[in-house]
Amino acid sequence: MRRVAIVGAGLTKFYRNTQETPKELAYEATKMALDSCEMKLSDIDCVVHGTAPDAFDGVHMKGEYLSDGSGAFRKPYMRHFVGGGTGVLSPAHGWFHVASGMFDTCLVVAEEKMSCAYPHPAGAFITIFDHTTEQALYPTLIYIFAIEMNRFMTTHGYRKEDIALVAVKNKKNAMDHPSAQLPAEITVQDVLNSEIMAWPVNRLDISPTSDGAACIILAAEHVARRVTEKPIWLDGVGWSLDTAYWCTRDLYYPDYLEVAARQAYKMAGIKEPSKEIHIAEPYDPFTYKELHHIEGLMLAPRGKSVQMLVDGHFNRDGNLPTSPSGGLLGVGNPIAAAGLMKVIELYLQLKGTAGKRQVPGNPTCGVANAWGDLMQVGTVVVLRS
Amino acid sequence: MALIERFQKTTDIGYWQGQIPLNYIYTVGRAGEKFFREIINGKIFGAKCEACNITYVPAKIFCEKCFARLEDKYLDVGTKGKVYTFTQCYETYEGIRKEKPSIVTVIQIDGTQGFLVHWLGEIDFEKVSIGMPVEAVFKAKKDREGSILDIKYFKPIK
Repeated sequence: MRRVAIVGAGLTKFYRNTQETPKELAYEATKMALDSCEMKLSDIDCVVHGTAPDAFDGVHMKGEYLSDGSGAFRKPYMRHFVGGGTGVLSPAHGWFHVASGMFDTCLVVAEEKMSCAYPHPAGAFITIFDHTTEQALYPTLIYIFAIEMNRFMTTHGYRKEDIALVAVKNKKNAMDHPSAQLPAEITVQDVLNSEIMAWPVNRLDISPTSDGAACIILAAEHVARRVTEKPIWLDGVGWSLDTAYWCTRDLYYPDYLEVAARQAYKMAGIKEPSKEIHIAEPYDPFTYKELHHIEGLMLAPRGKSVQMLVDGHFNRDGNLPTSPSGGLLGVGNPIAAAGLMKVIELYLQLKGTAGKRQVPGNPTCGVANAWGDLMQVGTVVVLRS
Repeated sequence: MALIERFQKTTDIGYWQGQIPLNYIYTVGRAGEKFFREIINGKIFGAKCEACNITYVPAKIFCEKCFARLEDKYLDVGTKGKVYTFTQCYETYEGIRKEKPSIVTVIQIDGTQGFLVHWLGEIDFEKVSIGMPVEAVFKAKKDREGSILDIKYFKPIK
């Protein structure tokens, strides 16, 4: 296998109700990524695209629809889709294309426009549940997450007011992100006082409905060294799927993520993740999920992540900064694009070009993950400078 | 950076309203045929994989771990279980506020590794706890039609 690097990145601003069509969003991110490393579309050998359910943008075969905006005109093109996990599977999908020796350069694009779906994109989720045993009960996405959060809290004796600190931290981190949709300085009390959605989940525990797109450019080593002085290496990729029966999982611990993380760590030669990883972008569509995933990534012992959060361990200037971007809670959550946004944050941080968001201490190794499908898929990437 | 202008409503700018107009008729499947016929009889059916020692609920035709065929391994698993986890929902799946919140639970059926998602009734939310024993409450026999809604809800066992 050849070593693969990220050499460029582009990210649109995240909004609800963008004027741009999904195709135009994809174009803006892709163009920005090409410009960031002074490459032209003619330098690109192939394109992969990650985008979540067709139901959001409301276009059947959305992959085909988005292809030209993603720079795929008359190029080898493939779309992949694993729900919320898509954005971090995207680099893995691109990695195959380049590591295999088949292509030297690959555009990796991710897009979502959730605001098209009326009256609310949450309605699109009803049909992801089992059509005969679950849909009749009108499940909502928020309630299945509330159910998981309850089990996570009860098993470890975590307090809701401590978990709320994730929203406080991430929304504050997002103040320095030019793409951010919901940056804010809030308090734990603001989270607890926000509207109750499905106990124990309040409105400020949840990431927003968003539109946006992201793009990275992958290159084989010999090309990467020509394009940039500081390639960021895609040294580990991992993914796994737990049981298709979402409610039969041990909801307090994300096994799907540990399996995926072990695969990525093994590939990257990481033996002690909590020591060797300097910076993390755990997937945070809900406050508890960042902690759930910190434990699943083996960056904190099971049952200890909340105390570490309270102690400031995960702050931007802490021992292990998590979601320095501002995460999905602060930057926004255009599903696939949000996952790739996290990978782009690691890329910028490891390159030392994250500006006001730059974490101290010259980090050289970072991990990002995403999660999705019907709560079973784990996707992980490890980057090194 | 693109996207500098912020719109509160997409109907303030150029738009086209459309639909993906499709309706579906889903078969319940081979295992579902057994499960839903038995629900009419007030029974919950699972399927046991003897090699893996796992009882799935609802019944299914195969074991996801070893891929054994389970069509001759259906069994009555009773109607009792325990609350595995729960929530109380305040919004519908379309994001509209409910008049009255509903309690939703995942119930592990006793003696199995299988779970059902359902509503919980005849109890105040404040009194619900993980591990609480519950049982299914069925509709009157004449009203049952072979649907998961033939179970009205689960209720605590006193």
